[in-house]
Amino acid sequence: MSLFSSLSVSASGMAAERARAALLVENLANAETTRTPEGGPYRRKDAVFASEPVASPFGSAFANAIGAEGTGVRVAEVLEDSSAPEKRYLPGHPDAGPDGYVAFPHINPAEDMVDLMSASRNYGANVAAIAAIKDMISHSIDLLR
Amino acid sequence: MLDPVAGSLERYMDLLAARQKLVASNIANAETPGYRTVDVDFEREFRSLVAGAQPRAVEVAGLAVNHDGNNVSLDREARMLAENGLRFQVAEALLKSKLQEMRQAITGGGSA
Repeated sequence: MSLFSSLSVSASGMAAERARAALLVENLANAETTRTPEGGPYRRKDAVFASEPVASPFGSAFANAIGAEGTGVRVAEVLEDSSAPEKRYLPGHPDAGPDGYVAFPHINPAEDMVDLMSASRNYGANVAAIAAIKDMISHSIDLLR
Repeated sequence: MLDPVAGSLERYMDLLAARQKLVASNIANAETPGYRTVDVDFEREFRSLVAGAQPRAVEVAGLAVNHDGNNVSLDREARMLAENGLRFQVAEALLKSKLQEMRQAITGGGSA
């Protein structure tokens, strides 16, 4: 039954959006972080999505029984911002260089907030899809009653 | 099978399930760069599916494309999601009445 693999498609969407939201929250939390284990200020991270065929729980032979195959999504890679850090003149700061400038992460909180809203909206859309598919499955089960 | 109508209903529901899967794919890929909205040509597929063919996913034309090449419209998908669910319910109710007829025939109209 292709409806069950539709659930996997929506679940992959939820997982991807959740991963993206986690990165965005990390960016917001580290908007002012000047020290990282790798050295230097924190660098903004963002997820890149790629579509991917969903593996059916019943194996590929059965998944191909109904031709229109579903396409899930996954986080293909996490990109780190490579642009130059923002320099602020704070001579008293412990991380200030010899010239008195401190390297701060290049993060625009407004940008991350907007992305976070879109991630949360898309997560909700996937949840709605799961609810609709679940309804269809339970209606099919009702045929037996 | 029960009768030709029930057979058609079954295929109709199969096709709706296949379409719902594509809607779920579109929603899951709402932010995937380069992803294009897919759907089934419902009328044509239903006609050919009755004749024993498999549904085929096609790209949907006429949707606005984002800067990253993605053209998923969540509004369109939300509508399709609701529409498919309702169509499925109708087909399910019709099929259920067919099954009840059969059950009545088996039990001779008495209490099941």
